[in-house]
Amino acid sequence: MSMRGNEDEKLDALFRAYRDACPDPEASANFMPTLWARIDSRQTFLFSFRRMANAFVTAAVALSIALGVYMTIPRSSAGSPSETYVEALAEANPLDNPDIVSPAARVELNAR
Amino acid sequence: MLVDFELIKRAQNKDSAAFNEVVLAYRKRILGTISRLIARSEDVEDVAQEVFLRLYFSLDQLRTPEVFEPWLYRLTVNAAFDYLRKQRRRQEFRMSDLSEQQVLMADANAGSKVEHEEQTKKKVRESVDSLLGAVSEADRILLMLKEVEGLSLKELEQIYKVNENALKVRLFRARQRVLKAFGARGKKEGPG
Repeated sequence: MSMRGNEDEKLDALFRAYRDACPDPEASANFMPTLWARIDSRQTFLFSFRRMANAFVTAAVALSIALGVYMTIPRSSAGSPSETYVEALAEANPLDNPDIVSPAARVELNAR
Repeated sequence: MLVDFELIKRAQNKDSAAFNEVVLAYRKRILGTISRLIARSEDVEDVAQEVFLRLYFSLDQLRTPEVFEPWLYRLTVNAAFDYLRKQRRRQEFRMSDLSEQQVLMADANAGSKVEHEEQTKKKVRESVDSLLGAVSEADRILLMLKEVEGLSLKELEQIYKVNENALKVRLFRARQRVLKAFGARGKKEGPG
């Protein structure tokens, strides 16, 4: 900082003069009442927001439970409820006509 | 510290009287800092209230009361920066012409010493505001805190939460830009 030039010093002096030219202003009489009004207003907003968020969460939980219950109810049109995918596949492709068996295995089956 | 830790702890527990005391202790200083940072006297109270509003709702996040002041400054800087960003409009200060006119008017009025001093102060304010137009809002705030508010690099480090070297580099660059504008203006105005 030893290389500070004339301009630097002038700028420092200008900043100092600026500090003196801008004293700390006094607050108006309404400062505190307005501040508390703003705090109250923000608090009311946050309270309403929290209530809305709680209501939303409750509704989401209720909807999830309802959907869960709905999914567990057996439906008659869906065939036998105990039938698994493998069972359904086996039924669709009986061993008499085993498309899903490899050619070598099929030759073996025919030889029998 | 203008207040003791106990008061801050009470304010953290939403004690309205304690919070009031904290505001009253720091109000003048914060108003002064904001008035120099944003340079628009009509909005100073509004921004200061925003600072204390943020303080009220975030005070419980303050872990150690020892860092209260840098933290409050950080809130102040952020609020001022948000304000400046919202404003965004860079005022075109026709500084030299305007001030000359004002000085001439003041002389013509054969004004008193007080009037003359007031004009000089106004000229200085406009001059610095004009010079700081050469840097971004963020750099303007940083320069103000260092050069006008007189904060140390250590304090700035706590406020900005960046290391001292990064701050030095940023300050140096910002100051160089202001110096360039200062030099250019000096040449334009000519000797004397």
